[in-house]
Amino acid sequence: MSTEIKILKQVLSKYSKPMTLTYPSAVAPERRYSQIPEGLRGIPERDKDKCIGCRACYFVCSGRATSIYDKDAKRTVEIFLFRCTFCAHCQEACPEEAIKMTNKFEIAVPNREDPAARVLTELDLLKCKNCGTPYATRKLADRTYERLMEKIDPIVKETVSSDYKKLDGYCPDCRRAYGVDLDTHTKKYVWLEGV
Amino acid sequence: MGIMDKARIYSPWLYHLHCGGCNGCDIETLAALAPRFDVERFGIQLVPSPRHADILLTTGCVPKQFIPMVKRVYEQVPEPKVVVAVGSCACGGSLFYDDAPENYAILGHPDLLIPVDVYVPGCAPKPEAIINGVVQGILKLAEKRAKK
Repeated sequence: MSTEIKILKQVLSKYSKPMTLTYPSAVAPERRYSQIPEGLRGIPERDKDKCIGCRACYFVCSGRATSIYDKDAKRTVEIFLFRCTFCAHCQEACPEEAIKMTNKFEIAVPNREDPAARVLTELDLLKCKNCGTPYATRKLADRTYERLMEKIDPIVKETVSSDYKKLDGYCPDCRRAYGVDLDTHTKKYVWLEGV
Repeated sequence: MGIMDKARIYSPWLYHLHCGGCNGCDIETLAALAPRFDVERFGIQLVPSPRHADILLTTGCVPKQFIPMVKRVYEQVPEPKVVVAVGSCACGGSLFYDDAPENYAILGHPDLLIPVDVYVPGCAPKPEAIINGVVQGILKLAEKRAKK
């Protein structure tokens, strides 16, 4: 009896649909032409409005695919897909959740300079009030201030807050050089013991 | 373009050159050749000798010991030929990409040795992505044949 069932199964299997996926074109509408499993890690995409240019993705990138460079008051954050291992470390590390792995996988390109091989984001940089050197993005400065206020000791909170507002708009070098003139020098914390 | 060249566009033969990788891309390549994805729909056939091939499919970053073999296999493929680099290692060196100091064992991507026509990044790329790359390679092959 069991052998008869086996034979019947074999015969019926001939009438099932072919299992070949018809990628790259859907020949028949009812047949699937590609299979995209849930959680597939494809090309990473960066939201330009959310990105603050903080270099968190640059530090965790295992294949050195991410690079950040400043040029002409613009900060370019780049992922070179030829070196990317699609490990989603940058997605985990991003404090603003700007990077998301999509499920796009069609990235065949004819040469290295092809724009499809790079994920580029350009951000405007703030210029120093004093010397004119571009140093950070507006959002990065704001987020640094917010995070500082979250974690700081309540005793020095007001002083640091007013100091930070005085220093806003100056590059790190000018902050150091004009600390005394702006009355933001750390000498005023000396009397605070145990902080 | 003669009748032979026209016919050969529909049957590009493929030689799979594995030069020092982790085997991930090779498994995906074999999946693309197997019935589930079945590249024989495009007339692509896996051949055991580079002398029969039109398309050279390379995977992995090239170790220094393998440099002469890569060059030799590339020269054995008859003209016109197309090289498809599959995987991030074969495209740009991936994790093995090293500037100074130079790595003692690994050269990097095969692009440093042989001209590559189509790059398929991914670690490892899906079989569909490999098919997409190989189909682009076939189109390039047709262009090269038309020029000849």
